[in-house]
Amino acid sequence: MSVGTSLYLFSHTQKVCRLYKRALRNLESWYDRREVFRYEAVLLRQRFEENRDVKDMRIAKQLLEKGEQELFEKQHYQPKKFPKSPGGTAYEREVLPPDWVLDYWHPLEKAQYPEYFARRELRKKEFIEMWEKKYGKPPKEEAHH
Amino acid sequence: MFRNSGICLVAEELWDLLLPKKMAAIANCVRHALVRNACLLRVMLPRTAVVGIQQNHIHTKTWNQFYALHKPSLIQCLTWRQAGQIRHFAEAKPSMDQIRDRVLSVCRAYDKVTADKLTIESHFMNDLGLDSLDHVEVIMAMEDEFGFEIPDTDAEKLVRPADIVRYVADKEDVYD
Repeated sequence: MSVGTSLYLFSHTQKVCRLYKRALRNLESWYDRREVFRYEAVLLRQRFEENRDVKDMRIAKQLLEKGEQELFEKQHYQPKKFPKSPGGTAYEREVLPPDWVLDYWHPLEKAQYPEYFARRELRKKEFIEMWEKKYGKPPKEEAHH
Repeated sequence: MFRNSGICLVAEELWDLLLPKKMAAIANCVRHALVRNACLLRVMLPRTAVVGIQQNHIHTKTWNQFYALHKPSLIQCLTWRQAGQIRHFAEAKPSMDQIRDRVLSVCRAYDKVTADKLTIESHFMNDLGLDSLDHVEVIMAMEDEFGFEIPDTDAEKLVRPADIVRYVADKEDVYD
């Protein structure tokens, strides 16, 4: 489901959680009947629980690597994806233009919605004020072109 | 101009000559087709008619049964589980309250959460006593409920039902 976790950026707990989630989703792809999936999920949880109290980080890391390896070997050939996730059926179906596109409208186009653009200018000013109140004025040399 | 009209005249004359032949040919075609497929027609026509009648019969029967239940709407005839399976296309956005109810009901449905301790502001780990793997399961239940993926980096910050409500509302562009 999610991308393979990097081995350095995250704490051990986070890595185990991510492995657990991916393993569960993998089971979900394999077992399409809900009760069978639940049964397998409980077994999987039990396997994670067995090594809950491993204090030695060396062993814990080995176990994690073994888990990753096993997940890799048992991965589904066509995993289920959420429609709007990468690889899903509706991924990027709806492309929302970013907000800044409105700033590049032609003045004649903007003139058709005078109220909105007046309010937009006001909002921009308020946002800059808010930003400067929070982070202070940007230094001169960082002024963008 | 002149040449055009000349061509038209010639074409009309030709058409007049050809027309009877053509008509005859078309009529022949239709006749042949009918003769060839007469057997097929004889078999198919009554069959389709019978199927139509049977299907109508089936429909009236089920609808009669449905009316016999004396329920005002289809929804009331269904269990909550079946009602959840009805597909709603182009559904309007849920309101903030609906999202809150759904999040809370998913939390309540999770077996390790004691329902009376659960409030919108209770912390999953500190108040409800879940561990990190339970939290992963809760987040996965939320994903299934709302139908989109919650990335792990975001999921780790969603430690209260209120956080999840806010996250989902942001995702679905709902503001109160």
